[in-house]
Amino acid sequence: MEVKWPASAWLGASDRVNLARLHRIRLFASSTYITPSDAQRYAMALPLPPGLTPSEVGFLCEMEQVTIIPRQRLDGLELLGGPTETLRPPFPVPLPLWLALLLKKQKRADISPPPWLSVEALTQILDFEMDERTAELFSPSQDLPAPTTTAPLDGDPYLAHDALELSPPFLKDAATSRAQKDALPYHWNELGHLLLTHAADNFVEPDMVRKLLRDLREVRMSKLRKGFKVLDAGAGTQMNNVGGMEIAEVRGFVVGVVDGLRKLNRSREESRKERDDEERENGIGSSSYRDDEDEDML
Amino acid sequence: MDDDIADILASVSAPALPVRTLDLQALTRAWVNERTAPELLPYPTDLVDRVMERIGKQISTIEEMSGTMDPQANFTLVILQTELERFKFLVRSFLRARIAKIDTYTLHYATLPSQLSPLERQYLQSHQSLISTHYSTSFLSTFPTSLQKLDDTAGGISMVDKPDEDAAVFCRVLRDTGNVEIQGISEVAEIEMKRGDVRVLRWSAVKEAVERGDVELI
Repeated sequence: MEVKWPASAWLGASDRVNLARLHRIRLFASSTYITPSDAQRYAMALPLPPGLTPSEVGFLCEMEQVTIIPRQRLDGLELLGGPTETLRPPFPVPLPLWLALLLKKQKRADISPPPWLSVEALTQILDFEMDERTAELFSPSQDLPAPTTTAPLDGDPYLAHDALELSPPFLKDAATSRAQKDALPYHWNELGHLLLTHAADNFVEPDMVRKLLRDLREVRMSKLRKGFKVLDAGAGTQMNNVGGMEIAEVRGFVVGVVDGLRKLNRSREESRKERDDEERENGIGSSSYRDDEDEDML
Repeated sequence: MDDDIADILASVSAPALPVRTLDLQALTRAWVNERTAPELLPYPTDLVDRVMERIGKQISTIEEMSGTMDPQANFTLVILQTELERFKFLVRSFLRARIAKIDTYTLHYATLPSQLSPLERQYLQSHQSLISTHYSTSFLSTFPTSLQKLDDTAGGISMVDKPDEDAAVFCRVLRDTGNVEIQGISEVAEIEMKRGDVRVLRWSAVKEAVERGDVELI
């Protein structure tokens, strides 16, 4: 049986494709000709696009430490993530959020909201965000301590402890009662949402806090959306102090836009790179493009 | 005198985090990096071995505790089980992310066995042989012999798919690393990376920094 492949169907933009190659198995195995978008390949093992989903960001946020006020005694436990302190009411104790929520659900403890999750603090931050002078910035996030580790030596494996710098959700005092009052931590949205859902009675004014969180979220998202205009194929867009959930929301769009722009400009970039390489090899002024060609035509 | 100095130093310097917490931070970072990066990162053998050992010990502790039906111990059991499930999710999601990448770019990673663990290498071999057997029996054997190769590199175009190394990734800078080169449309620019910056960059620009631990993906 003779198989005929219509050439027009498979010829890509590149004219370096040899017609004989069209009959190859590459048509089945390659992403360039068959799959609709070569940006995303979904495998059965994990059918998710690259990047954390919002639920995974929530999972990550549950590792943050919060301060609880126990109502019942509980001995210190040797957990996989490290030992916890003994709970002796009514002394406050820092615990990971997932454990705090578990205790709260069973009415064995109360969660004390972090200082930045109060009406005064959120109002102050919201005023900063809505000020016209800060239209392009987000409100500053909590102060970062100085780095405690240095770059690894050559023989150290990937993720060796000596070179492991702490980052959210393991930064000290992001959501405990000693947290900074005038700045939002990385997981502010998820923390606020979870605490308001499960521990609303521990708040002074939960409805007001909810409203302020919603307003903050809207203002910051609109700032992010305005920033889409400067998305560039070369990437390098800076967005300091943005939150975890905000990144999860815009990730799909931003990555798609940047990758798309890169593909559109690929040929231009490649020709520029070739020109740069030529210039470097042969000295400046050796490229074949002649500036004075137009003058010769006169 | 020496004891006094040691006491003063111990009281002034911050207490080091227990190894277990550092391992949790490392595992979390490995998970987020692997889920976000388009390429397979080096396999953290020691970390995974330690974590799996601890998980095994915790499972046996839980099984022993399930024997007694003391109500106080019951609640401790619930806490331990919840935490175990969280850890198992982290490890499983991390491994699944890696297997998904191996599945998609099988032939490419067959040439880079150093990034894989021994089990992953075994998986790669069997996956590769299954796929090629399947292709041969379904249609490849009907092709002329010269066109039957799956990894031909003749003619300047390689048939082996490589992961997209210029994909955009979100990253956070953990340590001041100096400059990073970015390719603009009309020029090549350099930007400085300071601690606390959050940027959208090409994977090829931050790959080395991520492997060193100066930059993490978010």
